[in-house]
Amino acid sequence: MTSYAHPEVLVDTDWVAAHLNDPNVRLVESNEDILLYDQGHIPGAVKIDWLAELNDPVQRDYLQRAEFEKLLASKGISNDTTVVFYGDKNNWWATYAFWVFKLFGHKDARILNGGRAKWIAEGRELSRETPSYPQGSYSAPERDDGTIRAFRDQVRTHITQGGTALVDVRSPQEFSGERTHMPEYPQEGTLRGGHIPTAANIPWAKAVKEDSTFKSADELSELYGAQGVTPDKDVVTYCRIGERSSHTWFVLTYLLGYPKVRNYDGSWTEWGNGVGLPIEKSYQG
Amino acid sequence: MDRQETIDNLLDHYEHPRNHGALEDADVVIPGGNPSCGDVVTIYLKVDAAADTVERITFEGKGCTISQAAASILTELVEHKPLAEIDAMDFNDMIDILGREVVNTRPRCATLALGTLKSAIHKYRSDRERAV
Repeated sequence: MTSYAHPEVLVDTDWVAAHLNDPNVRLVESNEDILLYDQGHIPGAVKIDWLAELNDPVQRDYLQRAEFEKLLASKGISNDTTVVFYGDKNNWWATYAFWVFKLFGHKDARILNGGRAKWIAEGRELSRETPSYPQGSYSAPERDDGTIRAFRDQVRTHITQGGTALVDVRSPQEFSGERTHMPEYPQEGTLRGGHIPTAANIPWAKAVKEDSTFKSADELSELYGAQGVTPDKDVVTYCRIGERSSHTWFVLTYLLGYPKVRNYDGSWTEWGNGVGLPIEKSYQG
Repeated sequence: MDRQETIDNLLDHYEHPRNHGALEDADVVIPGGNPSCGDVVTIYLKVDAAADTVERITFEGKGCTISQAAASILTELVEHKPLAEIDAMDFNDMIDILGREVVNTRPRCATLALGTLKSAIHKYRSDRERAV
C-alpha cells in the first residue's frame, strides 16, 4: 500500500489525546456552525471563526498580514507552534483554515484525521471551558497569493492550456447546472448554473470514509487519476466559495503530493456571476 | 446579558427547544430555508382570528445552533402577540434580542425564523381574503 506523500500533516485522535497539555501544540477548531465549539470542544482547543476572523469584513478577500499576526498571537500561537486543525463536516472548514494559514506560510500546520466527529464518536472528553493562553509572538510574511491561490483571470487562461487540470468539487447537480448550491440548500447567490469548461467533477467528500477519516493514498490516487487529475499537471480546484475545494487542495497537495495545486476561492459565486465567462451546462431542465 | 450569558442562552434553547414539533390544527404551515448554511425552519401558526393575535406557534427544523435557537426564542416571544406587532418587528430587533455581539456575523441564520413567521402571517391573511 502506498503511503501518503506527507503523512506528517495528519494526526490521529490518540496523538491529540497525548498532546492535550503540550505547550508547543495548539488545537484549533473551525466549524461551519459557529456555536458548535461552545457546545463542547476538545479540551484546550481554541476556536477560529472562518467568516469573522479569516475574511476581510468589507472586501471579498482574506485578512491581511498584520491582522493575521494579531489573530494568531491572541490565540497563543507563535511561529513555531504546531497548529492542529479540526472541525465539523469531514474537516471541511478545518482545511479551509489550514489553507489560509498556509497563505501566510505557517510552517507546522496539521489536520486531525476524522475531525470533530471521530473524536466524539470515540467517546472522548469534551470541554465547555474556553482556554486562555499567554499572548503569542507571531511574525508573518505578506500573504502569498501566487502559490496556492488562483484568481479568475488565471483560471480563464488555465482552461486554454495543455498540461492542466481543473477540479470542480461541487455536487453533480451543481456541476450540471441543475442547482447553484448544494442539494437541500436553498438556491440563490449565483446567476448562472453549470461549470467551468474542461472541469472534472469529483465531489470533495469522496476523499473521506464514513468515519470522516481520509481514504488511503491508493484509493485517492485512483479517484483523481481516473479523471485525468494527475501529479504531472498544473491543477486548480474550485467549488462555490473556495471552502470545499480547500479540502481537495489539501488532499492533492499533502496526501498525494501533487507539486502544483491552487485553490480558486472566487469559485462559482464569482465565475457564475461573471459577464462573458464561458460556462458548460449539461442540465436541460 | 454579557457575551457568555448570551451564548449560554442560545445553547439552552438549542439543546432544549421550546414549542418544538408539529401543530396539528395550525392555520398555516410554512417552511423557510437559509442559503448561507443550509438551515431549515418550518413554522406552524394558529391565529386567534377574533383578536388577530398568535394563539399558538410551534416549529420544526434542522441546522446550525443560531438558526434553531432563534426559532425557539421567537416562538416564546410572539405567543399571544398581535400579528400587527410581529409585522412591525425588524430583523435588527431579532438580532438584538438574540445578542448582537454573538450573532452579528450570521444575520441570515438569526433572522430565518422571523422571516418565515412573517411569511406565515402573510399567507394566513391571503388565505382568509380568498375565503371571504
